[in-house]
Amino acid sequence: MRYKRLRIANYRGVDSSEIECDSRGLTLVQGPNEVGKTSLGEAISILFEYPDSSKHSAVVAIRPVHRDAGPEIELEAESGPYAFTYTKRFHKKPETKLTVTAPKPENHTGREAHDRAKEILTETLDVNLWTALTIQQGDAIDQPDLAKQQSLSAALDKAAGGIPTDQAEEGVFEKVTDEYGRFYTAKGQEKAELKQAREQQEKADAKVAQIEGALHSLDQDTDSAARLQTELKQLTKQEAELTKQLKEQETVLEEIATLESRVSEATLKLESATTSLELAQKNQKERQDLVEAVNDAKKQHAELLESSKESSATLERAEKEFKTAETAFNEADGKRKDADRIADLRRADFDYYNNLLHLQQLGERKERIDTARKNAAVAEETILNNKVNKQALETIEQGERELLTVTAKLETGSPSVTLRGLAPCDIRIDDDEAAIESEEVRTLAVPDRLRISIPERVDIEVTAGSSTDQLTRQVADAREGLDAACRAAGVSNPDSARKAYEARQEASRKIEEKERIEQENLRDLTYDDLADKVVRLNETVPEYLADRTSEPAIAADLGAARTAWEQADLVKQDCHVEWETARQSLDTARGVRDKFSKKHSEVQMELRRLEKNLQQQQSHLDNARNAASDDSFEAAVKAAEQSVTDEGETVRTAEAQLKEKNPDQVKALAETAKSSLSSKQRRREAANTELTEVQTRLKIHGEEGLHEQLHAAKTAVESATANNRSLSRNAAAAKLLYDIMRQERDKARQAYVAPLKERIERLGRLVFDESFQVEIGDDLRIVSRTNDNITVPFNDLSGGTKEQLSLIFRLACSMIVAEEGGMPLIMDDALGYSDPDRLQLMGAVLAKAAKECQIVIFTCYPDRYANIGDAAIVSL
Amino acid sequence: MANADVPGADCLVTGVFMVRFLHTADWQLGMTRHFFSEGVQERYAQARFDAIRRIGQIARDEDCAFVLVCGDAFESNQVDRQTVARTCEALKDVPVPVYILPGNHDPLNAASVYSSSTFADQKPDHVHIIDDFSPREIVPGLELVGAPWKSKKPVVNPLEELLNELARSDGSTRIVMGHGIVDAFTPDKEAPAVISASALENAIQEGKAAFIALGDRHSVTRIGESGRVWYSGTPESTDFREDKSGYALVVELDGEQIVAKEVSVGQWGFVERKQIELNHAEDVERFNDWLQSVENKERTVLRLRLAGGLTLSLHAELQEKLLAASDLFAGFDIRFDDLVMIPEDADFADLGFSGFADKTVKRLREHIEAGGAEADEARDALMLLLRLTEGAA
Repeated sequence: MRYKRLRIANYRGVDSSEIECDSRGLTLVQGPNEVGKTSLGEAISILFEYPDSSKHSAVVAIRPVHRDAGPEIELEAESGPYAFTYTKRFHKKPETKLTVTAPKPENHTGREAHDRAKEILTETLDVNLWTALTIQQGDAIDQPDLAKQQSLSAALDKAAGGIPTDQAEEGVFEKVTDEYGRFYTAKGQEKAELKQAREQQEKADAKVAQIEGALHSLDQDTDSAARLQTELKQLTKQEAELTKQLKEQETVLEEIATLESRVSEATLKLESATTSLELAQKNQKERQDLVEAVNDAKKQHAELLESSKESSATLERAEKEFKTAETAFNEADGKRKDADRIADLRRADFDYYNNLLHLQQLGERKERIDTARKNAAVAEETILNNKVNKQALETIEQGERELLTVTAKLETGSPSVTLRGLAPCDIRIDDDEAAIESEEVRTLAVPDRLRISIPERVDIEVTAGSSTDQLTRQVADAREGLDAACRAAGVSNPDSARKAYEARQEASRKIEEKERIEQENLRDLTYDDLADKVVRLNETVPEYLADRTSEPAIAADLGAARTAWEQADLVKQDCHVEWETARQSLDTARGVRDKFSKKHSEVQMELRRLEKNLQQQQSHLDNARNAASDDSFEAAVKAAEQSVTDEGETVRTAEAQLKEKNPDQVKALAETAKSSLSSKQRRREAANTELTEVQTRLKIHGEEGLHEQLHAAKTAVESATANNRSLSRNAAAAKLLYDIMRQERDKARQAYVAPLKERIERLGRLVFDESFQVEIGDDLRIVSRTNDNITVPFNDLSGGTKEQLSLIFRLACSMIVAEEGGMPLIMDDALGYSDPDRLQLMGAVLAKAAKECQIVIFTCYPDRYANIGDAAIVSL
Repeated sequence: MANADVPGADCLVTGVFMVRFLHTADWQLGMTRHFFSEGVQERYAQARFDAIRRIGQIARDEDCAFVLVCGDAFESNQVDRQTVARTCEALKDVPVPVYILPGNHDPLNAASVYSSSTFADQKPDHVHIIDDFSPREIVPGLELVGAPWKSKKPVVNPLEELLNELARSDGSTRIVMGHGIVDAFTPDKEAPAVISASALENAIQEGKAAFIALGDRHSVTRIGESGRVWYSGTPESTDFREDKSGYALVVELDGEQIVAKEVSVGQWGFVERKQIELNHAEDVERFNDWLQSVENKERTVLRLRLAGGLTLSLHAELQEKLLAASDLFAGFDIRFDDLVMIPEDADFADLGFSGFADKTVKRLREHIEAGGAEADEARDALMLLLRLTEGAA
């Protein structure tokens, strides 16, 4: 199809607008908004789509604004062999006019014109593709779905060098797909119809099985009924036979019962006779026992009487011996008591002497302690008054040594006098007395002045002179120090100090000695205890003698007292031994006497009892003999023995008769027959019940028409099976056909892809680089783009690139289709997303494409298309 | 002895007894056929009740004294109450006494249809069940004795037992009723309940029976040479295998003479053709002509086995004709096992396929040529394509 001229009037906001198109090239329709560019693009679709009387919203929408006139559309075009002018006015004075000039003139008006125009359109081009290839504002990025466009397919076929596709084949494929869709889902799953057919068959099979089961049960019941009836007949027969047997056995049983009764009666009589015999024997025995008892009692009594006499004599002897022992014991007892008293007295005497000695010793110990305590008190007084302790003495002796030292120095540095004894002689040096032995040499220093006197003979005074003054003063100081120390100690000079110190030491020793003496004499006592003891002993010891009996006299001293005590103790021990012997003899005699006494008493008691017993037995026997004589019992026993013999014979005879009848066997047989009969009766009742049940079931189910039901069910199975088989077969056929046809169709479709891809890439390389490639899917859409060897899915590309690729895609389609059937491409303001560089390149693309197909561009941005080459420019 | 009360029985002046009766069997009431649709099944069932009435009519027309039904009056003991009730209703229209012998399909066991409450309640008085071996003097001088089946699987056929028990019939004419297959007609001659044909002949020879009326075989058949032993066959056909079904037998005993006349009763036909060769368009046309020529289609059951090889187009044509015919016949059982479809170029020439559809056809034909399981599917697929294409065109 080629557009030559398009006019619209009274169309939306457009009064009138008309464009002439370059029928084989590029037409750029430019103008501002609202001059009708979009309307022109849209008008062609409306022109062909809707009749002039249409009230469709799309038609209503194109009514002119503020004008009472019908919108008009007029198109002059060529399509296939046709050249025509097609005019339509809607709403107001609607009118349709079609003037065809080639291949032969035609004139149509009204509905006829509309239908003829549509016919021409459908005949010469693919309306869908034509619409799809018309890019509208705002949806430019979309790629049209071209998979179903037959014009494209036809063109692609030609381009691919294949056999042209037939529209009929597409139609067949759709039908094949529909047929496949009857049985399978899009994912190839079986649809409900197939499943249901299978289930239907299964259900029908189940129904048949169920009815066959019921029939089988009926057959079983029928067999059971026959079996039960046969059994019942047999049971009735068996019952009759058993009843007959039982009757015969009962007759025999009655005879047996009579015999048994006879045996029983005879046995009872025998038992009675036996009992009588036993009674007679018992009576006889009792009499014999009674006579024996009297005899025994007499014998026992006599024996015991003899024994009693012996025991009486023995008792008498024992009593005598007891008395003798008693006298001996009393004597020994008196002796023992005297010996005890004497021994106690001698012991007391010894204690007296012992206490006396103790009193003396304690008094001495106390005396020693008292003396020591007195000495210690004196010593303590001494220590209290004597100040020369060890330290004071050392101080004094220190002062003395110092004095001697300075004195010696004075003497060394001062003149000295040497004395040499010629014979022992007392001398006085200064005021001190001294002595000198023969040959003794003594040098004396003269610190200042020294006076040596030989008493009563000569007095020599030596004076040292003034050079010894200092030493002299030191000596004086030392002397002063010594004196001070002596004064402090309360002594006159060191020698007295030393004596005082000795005295003090002596006093200390006295005090220490007191402790020792106390310890030695008190031992484990306190002083007060000791004193108390002394006081008590002083009181008690003298009293003993005052209180003591005069006889025997007390021993002379402690030693004698001890001896007397020991002797008395020996006597006492002897007496005790004697006393113990006497006591034991007495106890023995008493025991013997008591034993015989008890025995004698017992004999006496037994004797009395036997006497009484004898009397009773005798009395009893006498009474019995009065009642019946001993001979009568013997006669009774003999009579009873005869009776037992007679009755025993009767029993044996009866038992022999009974045995002949074999009662155990007869009874067992009768019992068996009875239980068998009972068992048969029970079984007959059970069989009857079972038969009734079976017959009831047969009656209930037998008339349900199971036969016809089974046939109906089997028919249903056949029908379901046939239906299932037929459906499965149809489904399999549809699937096979669909699978193969789809494969073949896909193969053919793939053949279309190559020319489309070739055109897209040829145009695309003007915009992108030389490595530009696209992948085309089965649905003839761009799947991905490869540029710079990088492949990006179409949907991930930028808006601008998508728009450019979509346009190139459409141009490629139009280029292919144009050669074959003619497909103008109308673009309404495309390339809004492209940058200036790309716009320039896209211009080259459009220019190249326009050489092969008609392109009409509507735009209000003419600058976008500044580089589209040779184009017819139409300004609105 | 004259017997004015009993039609068909008379004592001639010579003292020789003459009787005429109707011998029938195997009514198979309640029989169903799986190849029938529901409506046809109902008609078929009704035909069997109608047959009873026609038998009654024949008995009247032929002046029969009574009707003997020799077993299998019912298809099963477990037939529906309605079947029993409709049977009783039909029997009311039989004007003479009817003696029914239980057979192997309706044995006189605990589940017997003859013990059912419906039968007991609705049985007409002139209908009698032969329930034991005891003889019945149904008219003076005429003794009827039957061997009823008491179970489905007896060890010995009751008829043989009966014949063993029977003494020579002196002073009266004895008719014996029996049921079961005679050894001449079964390959399994040792099977229990098979009747020895010679035993029957002997019974006739020994004077135990003047006529033995048999049931079980559905085609009317004379047994032996005496002419006194007969199967009456079923009055209404039940299967394709029956040579001569749809009859009843009118028997006339006249002293030493016996005449058994076959009277047509049945309305239904079972037609089977085991090999119909179809290879060319003419064959298909001839076959269609034959189909058209069959009479009484609504009561005819067809079983056809088609053989040969047809192109897809001819096959489709055949299918079309069969489809049209199937609506006319009572039963239509067509086997295609031996008929193959042979797709030819001509089948697709008119369709103008050139693209992927053409390739599809080629591939499917390759499948067919390869044979095997897929060949059948491929044939079906091609047929489908043909059908869809015709629809699309």
